[in-house]
Amino acid sequence: MKDLGDTTTARWDGALEAIERCYELGWTDGLPVVPPVDHRVAQFLDYAGRDADEVVGELPERRRRITVGKVAANAVMAGCLPEHLPVVLAATEAMLDPVFNLVGPSSSLGGAAILVIVNGPVVQQLNINARGNLFGPGNRANATIGRAVRLILMNAGAAIPGLFDRSVIGHPGKYTYCIAEAETETHWTPLHVGRGFRPEQSAVTVFAAEAPRQVRSVGQPEAILYAIADVASSLGTSMSTSGSVGDPAGGVRQGQIAVTIAGSSQLWRDWSKADVRAYLHPRIRRSVADLKQALVLASPVAPGDAQRYVSLVPEPEDILLVFAGGEEANMSSVIPSWGPKVGSTAVTREIRLRP
Amino acid sequence: MHDGIHAEKAGVPSATICTDRFVPTATAMARMWGAPDYPTIFTQHPVENLTRQQLRQRAEALAAQVARVLTGGLP
Repeated sequence: MKDLGDTTTARWDGALEAIERCYELGWTDGLPVVPPVDHRVAQFLDYAGRDADEVVGELPERRRRITVGKVAANAVMAGCLPEHLPVVLAATEAMLDPVFNLVGPSSSLGGAAILVIVNGPVVQQLNINARGNLFGPGNRANATIGRAVRLILMNAGAAIPGLFDRSVIGHPGKYTYCIAEAETETHWTPLHVGRGFRPEQSAVTVFAAEAPRQVRSVGQPEAILYAIADVASSLGTSMSTSGSVGDPAGGVRQGQIAVTIAGSSQLWRDWSKADVRAYLHPRIRRSVADLKQALVLASPVAPGDAQRYVSLVPEPEDILLVFAGGEEANMSSVIPSWGPKVGSTAVTREIRLRP
Repeated sequence: MHDGIHAEKAGVPSATICTDRFVPTATAMARMWGAPDYPTIFTQHPVENLTRQQLRQRAEALAAQVARVLTGGLP
């Protein structure tokens, strides 16, 4: 049994021994971690100008109080640089907001990962990738910030696979799932600005989410959005299944959804983000007949059911639209929420950079 | 588990039924809340796809254990 107590101190002689010891202590996600030696953790805390004992937030259902020191130790283990710590801290603060309901997405059979979306000047300052290989490998900031979030959940939040994390299949984003918006390369309003922050602020948005599903389409805005709406309306997502905590009147769980759009911003010159959301929202839906065929709705298919539709997303603003991905083609992604909006809502927090 | 343990701590008798696939999670939760001997009642997994009638049969089979736990006994 892993140590579920408050802190564990270990000693080691060499780097390889230390890495193996971290495995033995159950501190890793399966990949090797950078051993969180005292002086490295201290360096991170110094950079952020924060005290190790300061409480970032609590996970009351698991009796866990998450401190800056624990966040810093996990950021070290994930391979972060000290300057990444303010982003990881803001993401942790956001996850611990009560409306995010972290105990749900960190334990559920649904197997969510925490998608971290970074906006503002910090994206350029820390070289957080918003372009090619958006969800793929190759960039330290994305890889390590996202990984730190998972290690914090496991090591500080007790979301241990098989114990309190009971994901049935999970997804690769549970190792790391951090992107930025290419906001300097589009006329679109950055995600954080649309959510109440100023452009000169840096912010992080966390979203409990399924894996991204790539959407390939030809280069015309309406055609791209038509395909995105079709993918977003799939049966089998959390949004198109019934559930005990959704709105029973609607019959489905109605969740938020993230959509990334890559390619050239020029293609969208006549469209604002609000226009895109207004186009998508009424089209992310499924017929009553289909929902009944999939036993999402319990009664037999009746005449007219094929022409009656149920909306899967509560409001247009619940579509988190992000301009990101490579410039070379019109590849989009659709990322359904882990659960209904009432079960977990995306949260945005300012990144407090070094004073 | 969380709610059952807390009801009990608040002086309200509780009985918690959990499916047997969740034994490690339930046990760890009870330990985490300082109630390692919390008398969880386990039943065969799954219950999600049972019909209404099957669910009723399952509940009837567990009723005696629930009554024992609510009156301070072991399942």
